[in-house]
Amino acid sequence: MLELVFLIPLFAGIMATFLPVKLGRIILVITALLHVQLTGMCWLKISAPMFDAYFRATPEGTLVLLVTSFIFLFISIYSVSYMRETEMENEHVFIGCMLFFLAAMSMVTLADHLIVLWIAIEATTLVSAPLIFVHRSKEALEATWKYVLICSVGIALALLGSFFITLSMDIGQVDVPLAFSALQAVAANLDPVWLKAGFVFVVIGYGTKMGLAPMHTWLPDAHSESPSPASALLSGALLNCAFLGVYKTHTLLYAAGLGTYSSNVLIVFGLVSMSVAAVFIMNQTDYKRMLAYSSIENMGIIAFGIAIGGLGTYGAMLHLIHHSLIKSSLFLSSGNILLGYGTKLIKNTGNMAKLLPKTFLAFFAGFAGISGFPPFGIFISELLIIIGAFRSGRFVSIGIFIFCLILIFAGAARLVMRMSFAQHDEDILVQEKMLRILPSYALLLTSAILCVWLPESLYQTIINAITAIGGGLNG
Amino acid sequence: MIQLSDAILSLVLLSVLLSLSSNRLMGLVRIMAFQGILVSLVPLFLDQHQGIGAGSILFLQIMILIKGILIPGFMYIAVNKVKIRTEVEPFVGYHASLFTGLAFIVISAYITERLNISLPGGHALLLITAITTMASGLFLLMARRKAITQVIGYLMMENGIYLVGAALAKESHTQYVVEFGVLLDLLVGVMIMGIVLHNINSAFDDVDTALLGRLKD
Repeated sequence: MLELVFLIPLFAGIMATFLPVKLGRIILVITALLHVQLTGMCWLKISAPMFDAYFRATPEGTLVLLVTSFIFLFISIYSVSYMRETEMENEHVFIGCMLFFLAAMSMVTLADHLIVLWIAIEATTLVSAPLIFVHRSKEALEATWKYVLICSVGIALALLGSFFITLSMDIGQVDVPLAFSALQAVAANLDPVWLKAGFVFVVIGYGTKMGLAPMHTWLPDAHSESPSPASALLSGALLNCAFLGVYKTHTLLYAAGLGTYSSNVLIVFGLVSMSVAAVFIMNQTDYKRMLAYSSIENMGIIAFGIAIGGLGTYGAMLHLIHHSLIKSSLFLSSGNILLGYGTKLIKNTGNMAKLLPKTFLAFFAGFAGISGFPPFGIFISELLIIIGAFRSGRFVSIGIFIFCLILIFAGAARLVMRMSFAQHDEDILVQEKMLRILPSYALLLTSAILCVWLPESLYQTIINAITAIGGGLNG
Repeated sequence: MIQLSDAILSLVLLSVLLSLSSNRLMGLVRIMAFQGILVSLVPLFLDQHQGIGAGSILFLQIMILIKGILIPGFMYIAVNKVKIRTEVEPFVGYHASLFTGLAFIVISAYITERLNISLPGGHALLLITAITTMASGLFLLMARRKAITQVIGYLMMENGIYLVGAALAKESHTQYVVEFGVLLDLLVGVMIMGIVLHNINSAFDDVDTALLGRLKD
């Protein structure tokens, strides 16, 4: 039964909310392990969906599910150690919401019905709001308010977009279930005008959640104010889920022969996101906000890569995997830095190389990875996207793309250098612990391994996911 | 029964205009309850000719319960509990808001006129109401200072989108499980907003969104 992938975290979350905190922590890790196992079963196609009108294991969905499940495992291990060091008033709520969040995201990855997908994405907003809110500071309140309101309004527009797609079915006299897989087959009969209108609203709606500029304004606040394990989940898993909504609709348009139109929309949003990130990362004073803007940049890269098609699409899918791995590792390291220095301001940190050597290694390696240096996977994915864009002859776009990458690298490098090597005389508040270091290392190591060796089944799934929009290694 | 559905839709339009000119929070919450019930009733009078099944009756009751009673009730508690000053405190004045609302009606009538070429006919007033409600919701969201009015604006926008769904989608797509999920999301969303609102009030002693300016670049 495929639905267990999200039902089990749901029940575990309910249990963890009411049980004592110590038991809750154990439930968190056990559920994470169980979830990996269930994902494996879904991956091997052993489990079939029970409600097949609403849920289906698509290649792109299982890919995102695998990434989510994998990073959740490490984040849950990290959280247990992190929660011991910080004083949280409502820790059982935090644990419960982490599990609900996992459930909602798993539901997104499996949803096939248009409206069920919408329900699941809205549910991710609602269950992750308490995660941001958990410290109850004035800043956290503001961040939560912006997050809930901006995302809810944005996602409401996606619902409108879904209704437009329904209308395009009615006008085209198409009578199939309102599911992506069913619509895919009959896409050519859909009414093109309303399909295009629907796509724009869906991109604005789910794009808000994905962090595409100019709808990104909630993202830096939410990522910087939530506790680090939650930031890692938001950046590494949630953004991918929202992307899935955009991707599925893009596939639909491609099948309807409107691929050029939807690609152009995505390229514009992608490049605007990258430019906005490049501008705001320059004079950033807060290292978690810096990482958040980097997430906006990477979501822009993924949208761009998907849109150019061919090799670029393959690169974008690789980028999705590696961005999740590296960025969640970076946010986990930033949690250690926050514990160590007690501040999020870059100017109050420094000399990390001496004071927090293990965290420094993870943070610096992660920074190298996210900037596109080998041996980490983003090196390959960005290279493939650039080659793909050259092949499709989009020279102006590729110019902007590379320029933004350089700006962001230059801006972030200055800040990271300052954090790592500048003078700092005060002592460290909380020392490093292995449990809070190893998850970051493991995530980075996975990215490095996947860079040189991609398992056959993973490769095949990526190819299956992207052939629907004309992507492939030879495209 | 066309006339009855038109009467309900006119009442929805009236509630939109009332909410734009309302200067009391309590009044605004009452208008939202009224609008929620009206919007839930719309499908009943649209599909008279297709017959009403047991499922749709049950769903109608749930919808009235959530949109007309639970959500406004929750807002009512929030307004009472936070003990805020009861004025709405607009950025844009009441007369200007009202005028904008009227302008929205004219614009949506124009849009509907233009769209009718490719629309299944007979839904002209429904679509006008839907677009006006949506636009006014967005306007309310931006033009009022209190955080609680932003929630009301969001709800109004959601009502408008629901009307668009009712206007555009054929009956055959209606699956109550799915619609119930959407409603549940809405309900939980408003509850979470209410909780955050309560906390904002106790942290800042007010729910003015101008106070929320600590995080910026």
